[in-house]
Amino acid sequence: MIMADQFFIYFSELLGKAVVDVNGRPVGRLFDLSIALNNDIYPRVKGLIVRRNALAGEYTEILTTDLARVQEKIHLKVALTAIVFQKGIIDSEFALRRDLLDQQVVDVENKKVVRVNDVHLLRVDNQFHIAHVDVGLRGLVRRLGWEAGVDGLVRLLKKDAPYLAHEELVSWKNSQVLTLGSKKNVLKLDVARAKIAKIPAVALAELMGDLDVFEQLSLFRSLAFDVQLKVFTDMAPDDKAGLVELLEDHEVAQIITRIPSDEAADFLMAIPKVRVQQLMRLMESEASKRLRSLLGFRKDSAGGLMTTEFLSLNSTATAGDALAKVKASLDHAVSIMTVYVVDDKGRYVGTTTIHRFLNEDPAKPILAVCHPQKVFVHADDGMEKVAVLIEQYKYSAIPVVDDDDVLIGSITVDDVMEELIALAWGKYKDQI
Amino acid sequence: MSLWAKFRQNRFVANTLLFLAIMGPGIITANVDNDAGGITTYSLAGAHFGYSLLWSLIPITFALIVVQEMCARMAVATGKGLADLIRESFGVKMTFYLMLALLLVNLSNVMAEFAGVAASMEIFGVSKYISVPLAGLFVWLLVVRGTYKLVERVFLGACLFYVAYLISGVMAKPDWHDVARQTLIPSFEFKLDYIIMLVGLVGTTIAPWMQFYLQSSVVEKGVAPEDYKMVRLDVVTGCIIAPVVAFFIVVACAATIHHSGTTIATAKDAALALQPFAGVHATWLFALGLFVASIFAAAILPLSTAYSICEGMGWDAGIDRRFEEAPQFFGLYTAMIVIGAGAVLYPRFPLLDVMYFSQVGNGVLLPVILIFMLKLINDKRIMGEFTNSRTFNIIAWVTVAVVILLTLMMVGFNLVYGM
Repeated sequence: MIMADQFFIYFSELLGKAVVDVNGRPVGRLFDLSIALNNDIYPRVKGLIVRRNALAGEYTEILTTDLARVQEKIHLKVALTAIVFQKGIIDSEFALRRDLLDQQVVDVENKKVVRVNDVHLLRVDNQFHIAHVDVGLRGLVRRLGWEAGVDGLVRLLKKDAPYLAHEELVSWKNSQVLTLGSKKNVLKLDVARAKIAKIPAVALAELMGDLDVFEQLSLFRSLAFDVQLKVFTDMAPDDKAGLVELLEDHEVAQIITRIPSDEAADFLMAIPKVRVQQLMRLMESEASKRLRSLLGFRKDSAGGLMTTEFLSLNSTATAGDALAKVKASLDHAVSIMTVYVVDDKGRYVGTTTIHRFLNEDPAKPILAVCHPQKVFVHADDGMEKVAVLIEQYKYSAIPVVDDDDVLIGSITVDDVMEELIALAWGKYKDQI
Repeated sequence: MSLWAKFRQNRFVANTLLFLAIMGPGIITANVDNDAGGITTYSLAGAHFGYSLLWSLIPITFALIVVQEMCARMAVATGKGLADLIRESFGVKMTFYLMLALLLVNLSNVMAEFAGVAASMEIFGVSKYISVPLAGLFVWLLVVRGTYKLVERVFLGACLFYVAYLISGVMAKPDWHDVARQTLIPSFEFKLDYIIMLVGLVGTTIAPWMQFYLQSSVVEKGVAPEDYKMVRLDVVTGCIIAPVVAFFIVVACAATIHHSGTTIATAKDAALALQPFAGVHATWLFALGLFVASIFAAAILPLSTAYSICEGMGWDAGIDRRFEEAPQFFGLYTAMIVIGAGAVLYPRFPLLDVMYFSQVGNGVLLPVILIFMLKLINDKRIMGEFTNSRTFNIIAWVTVAVVILLTLMMVGFNLVYGM
């Protein structure tokens, strides 16, 4: 009968073990394990990478089907004469020692980046599967080869010390590997992906800050497109710039087209001009036209703050039209609280808000439910004027017009807040 | 477009602004290199061998640039610290023992720094029982309570104090003609003392901790690969400033102490010995320089060590975190300062033995780290298009080979003669 703990074995216990052939003749020592990449939840070990003569560096890969048993030594079913060694490391798609051990992974359950100290393998019918990654202190001590010594010492000091029973294992389902993403296709871990999708975008964006750019890229590419949009919006400006540098132009163009245009403009202002030109070419003409107009304004002017996504109606419309417009826009990244009214030439006429027409008779003309004052700013007005107006009239959005009074954009209260907070925070930081 | 906007779009101005934003890591690292141990070595070199070792500062500068540039390039290309990269490529065992060695060596360096604080303040008549605890508290608070930006600004400001040595050097009224001649024309003496001193100069200028610190701080800056040339400028600037300061220390001591034939054993002796020749102000300036250098290094060394170890072991680190978030990081940092400062206050502490150990330890550690660096920087999987070019590789390997040879010689001398 096999004891329960024999179902599991640590990778560090296998590494460096002597490998012998069917007749007990030495083949070499275990150097690495190659992994079969498919959609298994717990991927299977495909082959044993065995090294002989460390100085000359001769390697061979032995499939796990040729594995007889693992005891003090690793016994194979084949004879030494049937094994062909090659000079130089064998390039496998995913290898435990090279791509997982000592690398960083995302623990999607606890939402943090951790370093892999050891790998916990599940053993079924002489097949090995990746079950957990070990990220704890015990794993570290085991790798150093001090497990027995340290355990003895701790037991001597305190018999039931929590250290002795405390394994910090992260299930493979919950680990997102980052090493492969930047070079090849992201490892398809649907379970981890599904879990990642449940992490709030803000937390994911913060998590990105703990990764280097290539790991960021890998994690980012593993996200669904709508999650990508949210995470991108929430990332710190520096992280954004680093990530975009590695993303393909068409990926960036797609993202920029779908995030609010004011944020897209802020972002485009921070990256090199040449890249902006390339991106513009790839974007839908409508989106790039809007962005181009935004990019012409100073960052802290009304034009730089505004978004070009807003709801507007002709002055002949009714309250019913307004409601229909709001309902139709629920799925878009646009503020539905405010609807602007314009004349036939697109000139600004007035502002109305959702609570003014929501319960009105649908046939009522929209002009009858407009706010009495015409409150607006010009594109080159400063941020301070916008802030003062918003405070004075308690509007959640202020329209922006050009020199011919044509409505070109809208500034919402959160756009202004963002700028003000950045300003206030800058001053606050200088004080401390 | 406003005038300011036009001004900012001017290419030169834009580049200058970018450089000012990026500069820091290289200049700080190189300046910390002139710490208490460094100043002692340069003073002794000047006092005992006059101007005859000045020429060596030129090849040392070159070697320093070659080595530090590789660290900065690795930082920009990978976004990872050196300890991270070593862990990922050479495994945990190697990393652990390397970090353990780094911890011990750096700890003994920190003790030397606090001894430098004590010695320099004694020149001003301040007891070490006052100066050392206050210095320890200051550096601890700076990092634990400060933000990264603040710390970097304080450090950059401290770099200005090295001007003190430039002034000391001029006040010593050296024979500039002789100085220039001996700097530009290499000479060599086949004497054991001379070779030991030469090797000591190399060993004190290129130290293991610098590689870790520089790489981590460039990573912390978050520089984009296309701005790499600015980082390189920062690194090269630092690598030139540091030997220039060293040059003036050697000159100051050579023009006065060597001229009169006095023998000295420490940097404090050097400062005091300046007085009869260059006046009391020169002594004060020299002591002030030593004080700033020591306190500066006493802050950076524990910081750099804590960073490297946490990176390598996979623990959270960073001065912008709270104590509970990164207990190992702040624990290591605090322990190094407490032990470093405490050791100096303990009356029977064997300081000379510790400094001897730290020199040997540096010497043993450096070759290992340099070889790792060269292996990492030529790994296409890690560096992508940022690997060494063929020509640079030859230069780098030759430089590293020479540095390793000299460092091993220093270790040998130390073991045989107990320098």
